[in-house]
Amino acid sequence: MNSEQIVLLPVLIPLAGASIILFLRSWKQWQARSAFVIMLLSLASSVWLFYRVWLTGEPVVFQLGGWIAPVGISLVGDYLSALMVFMSQLVLFTGVTYALGAKDKNIQYPTFYPLFLTLGVGLTGALLSGDLFNLFVFAELLVISGTILTAISDDRFGAEAAFKYFYISLLASAFLLLAIGSLYISYGTLNMADLAQRIQLNPGQPLLYIAIALLTATFMVKSAVFPFHFWQPDFHTAAPTAVSAMLSSIVVKLGVYGFLRMTTLLFVDQSEQLQLLLVILGVIGVIFGGLSAIGTHNAKRMLAYSTLAQVGFILIGIGWGTPLSIAAALVFTFNHSLIKAAMLMLAGSVASRTKVKSAAFDVVTGVGRYMPFAGVLFFIGSLALAGIPPTNGFINKYLIFDSGIDLDAFLVLILLALGGILTLIYTMRAFQKIWWVPPSKGDSIKANGDRLIAPTLLIILVITLGLWAQPLIHISQVTSIWLQDPFNYIQAVLGSIIAQGF
Amino acid sequence: MELLTAIAIGILFAIGIFQMLRRNVIRSAIGLIILSNAINLFLLSAGDFQGILPAYVDTAQELRSDALPQALVLTAIVISMGGISFVLSILYVISSRYKTSDLDEIQGLKN
Repeated sequence: MNSEQIVLLPVLIPLAGASIILFLRSWKQWQARSAFVIMLLSLASSVWLFYRVWLTGEPVVFQLGGWIAPVGISLVGDYLSALMVFMSQLVLFTGVTYALGAKDKNIQYPTFYPLFLTLGVGLTGALLSGDLFNLFVFAELLVISGTILTAISDDRFGAEAAFKYFYISLLASAFLLLAIGSLYISYGTLNMADLAQRIQLNPGQPLLYIAIALLTATFMVKSAVFPFHFWQPDFHTAAPTAVSAMLSSIVVKLGVYGFLRMTTLLFVDQSEQLQLLLVILGVIGVIFGGLSAIGTHNAKRMLAYSTLAQVGFILIGIGWGTPLSIAAALVFTFNHSLIKAAMLMLAGSVASRTKVKSAAFDVVTGVGRYMPFAGVLFFIGSLALAGIPPTNGFINKYLIFDSGIDLDAFLVLILLALGGILTLIYTMRAFQKIWWVPPSKGDSIKANGDRLIAPTLLIILVITLGLWAQPLIHISQVTSIWLQDPFNYIQAVLGSIIAQGF
Repeated sequence: MELLTAIAIGILFAIGIFQMLRRNVIRSAIGLIILSNAINLFLLSAGDFQGILPAYVDTAQELRSDALPQALVLTAIVISMGGISFVLSILYVISSRYKTSDLDEIQGLKN
C-alpha cells in the first residue's frame, strides 16, 4: 500500500461502510453495530493520519488516480485538515454512540445509519479536498445527507425545516458553482494550491473579486454567520438529537475551514476587507446570538443560537489574522465542537424523557429531577460554554482575549466579554428551568430516555482538555504558524511532482 | 455568439431568481430548476466553449473546446437533479400535510 493513501481512509471507510450496511437494512441491530464499528475504524484512520502528519512534520498528499496535481484531484491532509478531520471523526463517533442508545423512531429508519455515515464522508471529504470542485461535490453530499436526516425527524416540523434549509443551501451551492466558474475563467485551474499560486502572480483579473464575494457568501451560509443564519435555529432544532449535535458542532465548521483557507491560502493578498468583514460580523453574531438565545423557549433552539455566537468568536480569531489569533480560533473550533455536541445531546436526552419529545422549556421544566447525572454534565457543559476555568471553554476565551489584547482591540474585547456574560445567563437559565424548578405534572415523565454514554465521553474530554490544554494549544500554534506562509501548502501539493520527475 | 450566450444566461438567471421568490411552492421549485440550468450554462461557457467543436479531436487542428468544464457541468447536472428531485418529494410531503401550496401559510416553525 502506497503510504500516501492513508489520506483516503477517513473518506473511503465510511463511504464503503454506508453502501455495505445498506444491505443490512432488515437486521437493524447488526446495522447499528456495524455502523459503530465502521465509525470506530474511520476514527482510527483519522487518528493515524493526524499522527502521521505530526510525526513526519509534512502534509500527506495523495493524487487520485495517479494524475499529477494541477490536472487531477489531490487529497491533502495538511496540519489544518488533519486536525479538523480528527475533530470531525471524534464527534461523529460520539454521534453514532448516541444514536445507538437513542429511543427516537427515526433511528429505526433503514437508511438512518448509511445517511449518517455519508454525512461524515461529505464533511471529511470537503475538509481533505485540495480541489475546489471536489469540495463542492462533498459539500453537496453533506448537505443532502443532513437534510434527509432532518426530514425524517420525529419532530413534526422536520420536513418543513429541511425544505427551508435545502432551498437556502441549494442557493449557496449555486454561489459556490458561480465562484468556481469565475475562478476557472480567470485562472484556468481549480486546484487550490495552483490557484493560490496563479492568483498571487496575476491578481488583476476582474472576476477575482466577484469570486471572493461569492465564496464568502457560500461559506457564510454554510456556517450560519449573522446575516445568513436564519435557517439555522429551525434546522438544528428540528433535527434528531444525534444529527443536530453533529450539525451544530462540526458541520458549521466547514464554513470556518473555508474562511481559513480563503484568508491563508487562496486570497492572501486580497483578504484585508474579508478579515475586517469577519471581525464585524463575528462581533454582531456574538451579541445577536447571545440575545436571541436568551429570548428562546426551547433548549435545543437556545443551543442553536448559541452556536451562532460561538462561531462569531471563531470568525473574530480568523479575522484578526495574527498567528496567535488563528491558533486561538483553531483551539476554539476544536473545543466548541466537543462542548456543543455534548450540550445538544444532553438537551436531547432530557427531551427524550418527556411524552411529546420536545425540548421546549414549558415541557421539560422539572424533568431534570429524574436525571441528576445529566444535570451534573449539563452544568459542566454550561460552564464550558460560558468559559469558566476548569473546562476547555476557559482556554478558548483566554486565547481569544489574549490575542485581542495583543492587537489592542479593546472595543471588540468589551463586546466579547458582554457576549460571554450573555452565554452564562442563558445556559444558567436553562439549567435552572430543567433541574431546579419542581415539575408541574410529575406523571408525564418516561422511565427511560436516551443513554448518556456519548455526552459523558464528551464532557470528560471537555474537562481533560481544560486541565491539560497544552498539547492542543501547541498543535494549534504550530498549525497557525505553518498556515502563515501559503507557500507551505503550495509546495506540499505541487512539489511532489517535481520530486517524482514529471 | 459569446454576447448572445451571456445575455441568455442573464435572462435565465433573472427568471430563475424571480420564480424562486414566488409564494407558490411549485413555481419556486421551477425557479430553482431554471436557476441551476443557468449556472450550468455559465459553467459550460466558462471553459473556452467553441460552439459545435467537440472536446477532443484527433485532427491536427488546434481549435477545440476545453473538456474540463464539460465534465464539471456533467457532475453539476447530476447533483442538481438529485437535489431537485429531493425538493419535489419534500414539497409533496409538505403540500399534503399543510393542504396548501402557498409558502406564507406554511409556518409551523414560527411558533
